[in-house]
This record gives sequence, C-alpha cells and structure tokens, in this order.
Amino acid sequence: MLLPSYYDFCCRVKTVSGNKALEQIPGLLAGMNASRPMIITDKGVVAVGLIDIAKKAMGKKLKIVTVYDNVPVDSNYKIVDDAARVYRQKKCDSIIAIGGGSAIDTAKGVNIVASLGGSSLLEYEGFGAVKRKLNPLVVIPTTAGTGSEMTLVAVIADPDRKIKMLFVSYFMLPDIGVLDPRMTRTLPDFLTASTAMDAMTHACEAYFSMEKNPLSDSHAIQAIQTISQNLLHVVKNPGDLKGRAALAAASTMAGVAFSNAMVGLVHNLGHTVGAICHVPHGTAMSILLPYGLEYSLHRASDVIGELLFPIGGPDVYAATPKKERGEKAIELIRKMNQDLHDATGGKHPRFLKEIRDRNGAQVVPESVLETLAQAIMLDGARMSNPEEIYPADALMVYRHAWEGTPINRKKIDKGGKKVKW
Amino acid sequence: MNINKYPEIVPGHKFLKQFYIGIMTWTIGKAFQVMYKLDKNVRAEFDRLPANFMMMLCILPEDAFKPFFYAKIMPDFVVNYGLLPLGVPMILGKDKEGKLKYMGSDKRGKKITLKLCMKSIDEAFRIFSFREPLAVAFNHGIYIVDGDLPESLAFVRAMEIVLVTLLPKSLAKMFVKRYPSWKELPPVKKWINRVLLWLRVYTVG
Repeated sequence: MLLPSYYDFCCRVKTVSGNKALEQIPGLLAGMNASRPMIITDKGVVAVGLIDIAKKAMGKKLKIVTVYDNVPVDSNYKIVDDAARVYRQKKCDSIIAIGGGSAIDTAKGVNIVASLGGSSLLEYEGFGAVKRKLNPLVVIPTTAGTGSEMTLVAVIADPDRKIKMLFVSYFMLPDIGVLDPRMTRTLPDFLTASTAMDAMTHACEAYFSMEKNPLSDSHAIQAIQTISQNLLHVVKNPGDLKGRAALAAASTMAGVAFSNAMVGLVHNLGHTVGAICHVPHGTAMSILLPYGLEYSLHRASDVIGELLFPIGGPDVYAATPKKERGEKAIELIRKMNQDLHDATGGKHPRFLKEIRDRNGAQVVPESVLETLAQAIMLDGARMSNPEEIYPADALMVYRHAWEGTPINRKKIDKGGKKVKW
Repeated sequence: MNINKYPEIVPGHKFLKQFYIGIMTWTIGKAFQVMYKLDKNVRAEFDRLPANFMMMLCILPEDAFKPFFYAKIMPDFVVNYGLLPLGVPMILGKDKEGKLKYMGSDKRGKKITLKLCMKSIDEAFRIFSFREPLAVAFNHGIYIVDGDLPESLAFVRAMEIVLVTLLPKSLAKMFVKRYPSWKELPPVKKWINRVLLWLRVYTVG
C-alpha cells in the first residue's frame, strides 16, 4: 500500500442497489422531507421506456410533478436555466435525475439554481461558488460508466463562448444514488462496452493519479476487477441482470475513486477529442486508456504494474516479472478493446480513425490532430497525472492512437524528479 | 456563570515565516510582471484571460495576516505600488492597457476574480522553502481555488515558467513536474532572461 504524506477522502452519497432498488425512492425522499420531485432526463431515455419503468416501480407512493426531457447530448446552461424555471413554476422540492452523464450534470446544475436562487447558472461557475446545502437530489444512472452519481462536479457547456464550464462543490454531491439493473438492461452492446471502459478509465487513472490514496485505491482496484470479469460476458449476454448490476456497482466504485483521486492524462486527451470532434466520452476513453498508461509508464511503472492484478488475475500477475507488469497490463487492456470490437461486430472502435458517425463519415480526421494537441493545455485533468505532457508529445500520442500503433516510449520527453506521492 | 472564565483564544503569529513568505510573494509577483514582458509564453497565457482578470494568492485565514509593521509608517506609494512587500498576499491583475501587473498585497478596492488560498502558513512555508513541489501541493489540496479553473491553470503554467527562469535548476526542479529540455527552453534564452529578470525585479519592474 502506498501511503501518501497527506490525503483527503469524502464519499457521502447513500447508494441503494439491487433488483428492486427503484421501489425504495418514495421512502428515501420522504426521509428527506421531499414529496414533489421533478424528473430530469433526455428523450432517448423516455423513448426506451425507462421513465415508465421508474414511475411504475415508485407506484402511487410518490407523485411525480413533472418530467423534463429536453436535455441534449451535451448539456448547456440555457437548458439548465429553462429546467430551473419549470422547477420553480411547478413548485417542486426535489429532483430525480435519470440518464447518463449529461442528464445527471444538468440535474446538478438545476439543483444549484433552484436551491440558491438567481437567474442563471452562470452566476455559480467555478470552484467553491456553491456554499450551502442544496435540495434533495436522487440520481438513477442508465449507463454503467460515468460515475456521476458519486461526483461533486458538473460539466455544462456555454454554447456562446464554446467552452465547457466546470462547477465544483461538495454540496453538489447527490444525496442518493440508485443502481437498478432494470435501468441499464436496454443499453446497446457497443454503449455497454464504451461506458464500462469509461468506468475502467476512471478507476485506472485514479489508481495512478498523483492524488491517489489508500481509500480511493481500494475502490479503484475492486472496480477494475469487476469490469474485467464481467464486461465481455455482459456484452455477449445483454439480458444478464447480475452482470449488469456488477457493472453498475463497478462504475459507482470507479466514481468514488476518481472523485477523490482525480483523473489524468487520458481524460486530458479525451476531453479535448470530445470538445473538438464531438467523440462520445466513453469511446474516447476506451481508445486512449492504453496510450495514457503507456505515456506515464516510465514515471509510475510500479503503480501501473499493480493494475495487472485486477485486470489479469492472480495467476497472470504471479507469472509476470515485476518489470514487465505495467506493459502486460497495457497489453491486456488493448486485448479487451479488441475483444469488445469483435463482440460488437466492429461497433466498438479501437483507434481514433475507426470512429464513424451515423452516416459513416470519419469523426476524427488526421488533419485535426495538430489542433487537438494544442488544445490539451486548457484542460484541468492534466494536473493530477504523474507525467507532464506538452503539445509536441500530445501530437505524438494522438498520431499513435489514430493509427492504432503503440507509442515509441523512447521518444517521450522526460525530465524532473520521480513522482512523490 | 462567569463568562470571563472562557476567554476567546487568540491565534499565535509566526512572524518570521510570515516575513519570509511576504518577501517571496513580492519577488515572485514582480517576476510575473517582468516575465510578462520578456517571455511570449507567459504573455500568451495571460493575454487569453479576460480584461478584468485579477488574482490573489493568499494564506488562510486571510484576516490573520496583517500588513508588515513598516507599512504603517511608510508612504502609501512605497508599499501599495509594490516597491516593498506589504504583507503576505500576492495580487496580480491586468491594468487598463491589458498588461499583467503586480498589484501589491492590499485587496481593498480591487475586484478579485480568482483566489488561490493556501490552507495554512506552514504549508505555504513548505512550498516557498522548496520542500513541496507545486504540482504535489496542488494535488494534496493545499490550494483552495475560488474562481474559474482555466484561469487558475493559466496561472500555474505561467508560474512554472517564471520559477524555471527565476531559480537555479536544482531548486526549480522541486517546483515543476518536468523540467523543460534544452529543446523546449534553450540555455542561452534561459540565462539572458534570468539575468534580465533579476535585474528588473529589483529595479524598474
């Protein structure tokens, strides 16, 4: 165990998990003196019937005041302000967020404006602007990946300035996270794959981040192990509710880990690809994870080597010499991506050049790599990575991730002291 | 009940640490102002920020650190304009022409858009006495950020460039995650900038 000279850890979200978890919500809300919830979700979630499942499970014990389903793929502050207006007009007293990262982040934003007042979310941008307890917020994730139900952050776009704004405060942590496998059963195989790889990235990055600590490590290791053991099986057997529940739990554990230990280079590179090329977050993470580990290997080889235990299992770990464990862990993650690619009939991309939109057009053309490399400097995730990266190296990493070839580690710019945790 | 039995506890003062940190923040603040003129990378970082950018590096609790003793007897222009360190905080902001300027330690009358607060004077002393790298300090939650994240990142990146130029390699390596290679920062450029920086910090600014 690596014990840092200092660390802090906070996880105060009540987690309710199980096949009948949704049925608990009315009682849990009543315990917080709330009885008029507003559901915030997106149209995709409504279309596949998940809202009906949730409403049916909650039954007559709870009256849902209204369902706000206008949340787009990339949430923005105008939607948040609009939803907050509806919340006030309908005199709601709590929020139930049902959906992926965008719906959950929107709900966090609405909760700020609805609880603290003001006309727009823009008044609360940045760190520490939210300084008191907000109204009850229940989060029901419909993907097993974002871990947003455990985080104190909301990322919401400003379409006028073309930036993604960060809202950070411990008061933004949801009150309750509900993990019910019925809510992820309808998730298509390729989305199950990419969202679970997103959770895998959260856990791996939390494990070798500069803010790692024994408490976040235990969540990260368990999350990696659970995903490694269940993901391929669930992709091949989408109706396996037990496997779905395991992935949901892993995603939540990864959320706890990265909420406390933060993420690093993979998210730095991935956020940029997402912001400029609109690549789905999970897809970017699954492609870039082996590259982020490979780039940081010389700085944190021992720690990255330890990832082999949860990924490969005890036999592989014991059979691999200590020096080679980091490389072996990276190799197994690449193999996992390849297996998911095969299991989804090619819908899970392995490299950046393989990502296609609905019309079959390439989403990340090679010509944009230079722009991506320059833009990495604007992302906050870079702070917690053990190795520094500048645009020249980022371009090299992007080129390899685009082609699908491993990084030539001799070409990485090195210097400075070994990481001190 | 005799309430006088329960007197209010007055926090102690660590004058030497406070004075040392005051000199360091003053030197680094002036170095920022000079490096803004000398180095295009530092200039690029701050030029990207809004015209009303005004940041303060301070130590918590803010009110515990009074201005230095001589501030009371010196004329305003000597201390308020950064000719001598006034106290512990460091305020950097853009002037009317949009150029980065060290604005002393007194926050009165200034609209701070970004606040980076160190949790205690002991933590600040560890950082300014080169025992805790900047990145580690950031990750150990020693700084509390109040404001916009991209602005704080720009400050940290510029701070790394300033410190690499200001300090010898052995000390600067403690501050930065990766010391720039010769390709990234040619030694001739570094040394010219270092000499100019030290000369101007204590003269024209």
